[in-house]
Amino acid sequence: MSQVALITGGGGGIGGAVARRMAAAGITVMVADYDHAAAEKVSAEIAAAGKKAEAFAVDVTQARDVKTLVADVEKRFGRIDVLANIAGGSFYTQRIEEFTWAEWKEVIDVNLKGTFLMCREVAPVMQRQKSGRILNTASNYGVTGSALRTPYSAAKAGIIAFTKTLAQELAPDGILVNTVAPGPTDTPRVMGKESAEERNRRWSQIPLGRTGQPEDLAEAYYFFTTVESAWITGQTFHVNGGLVTP
Amino acid sequence: MRLQGKVAVVTGGAQGIGRAIALGLGREGAGVVVADLQADKAKNVVDELYGLGAEGHPVTVDVANEAAVERLAKETFDRFGKVDILVNDAGVYLKAMVVGMSEELWDRTLNVNLGGNFLCSRAFIPSMRKQKSGRIISIASGIAHYGAKEFAPYAASKAAIIGFVKALAREVGADGITANAICPGAANTTMPRSHRSEEEVMARLRSNPLGHVLEPEDFVGPVLFLASAAASYITGQAININCGSYMI
Repeated sequence: MSQVALITGGGGGIGGAVARRMAAAGITVMVADYDHAAAEKVSAEIAAAGKKAEAFAVDVTQARDVKTLVADVEKRFGRIDVLANIAGGSFYTQRIEEFTWAEWKEVIDVNLKGTFLMCREVAPVMQRQKSGRILNTASNYGVTGSALRTPYSAAKAGIIAFTKTLAQELAPDGILVNTVAPGPTDTPRVMGKESAEERNRRWSQIPLGRTGQPEDLAEAYYFFTTVESAWITGQTFHVNGGLVTP
Repeated sequence: MRLQGKVAVVTGGAQGIGRAIALGLGREGAGVVVADLQADKAKNVVDELYGLGAEGHPVTVDVANEAAVERLAKETFDRFGKVDILVNDAGVYLKAMVVGMSEELWDRTLNVNLGGNFLCSRAFIPSMRKQKSGRIISIASGIAHYGAKEFAPYAASKAAIIGFVKALAREVGADGITANAICPGAANTTMPRSHRSEEEVMARLRSNPLGHVLEPEDFVGPVLFLASAAASYITGQAININCGSYMI
């Protein structure tokens, strides 16, 4: 039977690439996104390529939404082998004194609380299976910090520590939990904010001489679904062209 | 097969993790130079490579010897014409407390474990630069992060390898070369048996969150991933493969 992966943020740049990569390898992918149309688009592309995908709408900050999503997937497929928490974003670039409490909470909730809620709901399914892979998404900013992105940096650092803790809690059930930390990646959302020239100038310090592509990230997420990564858990995997080498 | 047509050099390839990596690279289609101080064992691994339908070539080398490493490079180019992947695995694991330790033991550890990384990287990078691609994968150790009583030079050399790889990644990235380290957790090899009872060794090897005893083969997958096209945007990293025994 085919493995089943649930991917949040699956309608976005990185999430979409991850969904396509996993589907190409024969994994049945559940593409979940706040933007249902975006999830539909990715799942339709995958289906058009002859692979298996379904689209779901989810707001990962809402416990009830998350519960419904996971129950749906479990009812339909009876299992969840891979959970990739990719929904997230920095949303604002502004000084701390400009952040409203609501903005702060929005960023923390989408990135960190959403990861918690998804893991809390999916972990029992994996515990019953005695197997599973959870992939959370941090950022190099979760290690280095980033001026004008206080809640994002805090949330991403939080995800790294949350992952280590969950890895320890779920290890006895054979479930691996790791963090992928993307560096600057050419997603439509990021590229919409600055021109290619600005972007290249800004990131000219990347040792490999280019910004990351969603496909670069997708390979790393996919690696963590394979037998080759069977003994890696609680770790943070940086995919950033050498920009940050913690 | 992900590495068809590629050429790899594996130092320390005659036994343990190095041997497992050499065979793994061969299974993926790479031609493999098995470079080791132990000529007979290296030859055996090359025979195993041919048994898998892969090509191999044994070279006897002390990676701490400049002339020997130059000869390794020459033999590699004579035999295969190029190099795509360098796996720096050769190392020594010598036991002594710091107080009372001989300078010789310190020097030998640092010269082989760290100096071998330098000499081999220096020898193979120029041709990687010319072809605008290459993979350097150094085998560090969890001991780099965790330390180990009576193995201070080993711990220092392995931590230094991580620093070396990070610096090297920044030097060679512009030419499409990546440099990464893996940090194996304690594994079921001859290494931990040099100073502990069999019972104690197995109990320690099992005492990790996943409760799995790591075997040399368990480190091959991550190395193949780093060597493959899939990891072309990963450089300067140290990948911990330790069943969750520590998390950083």
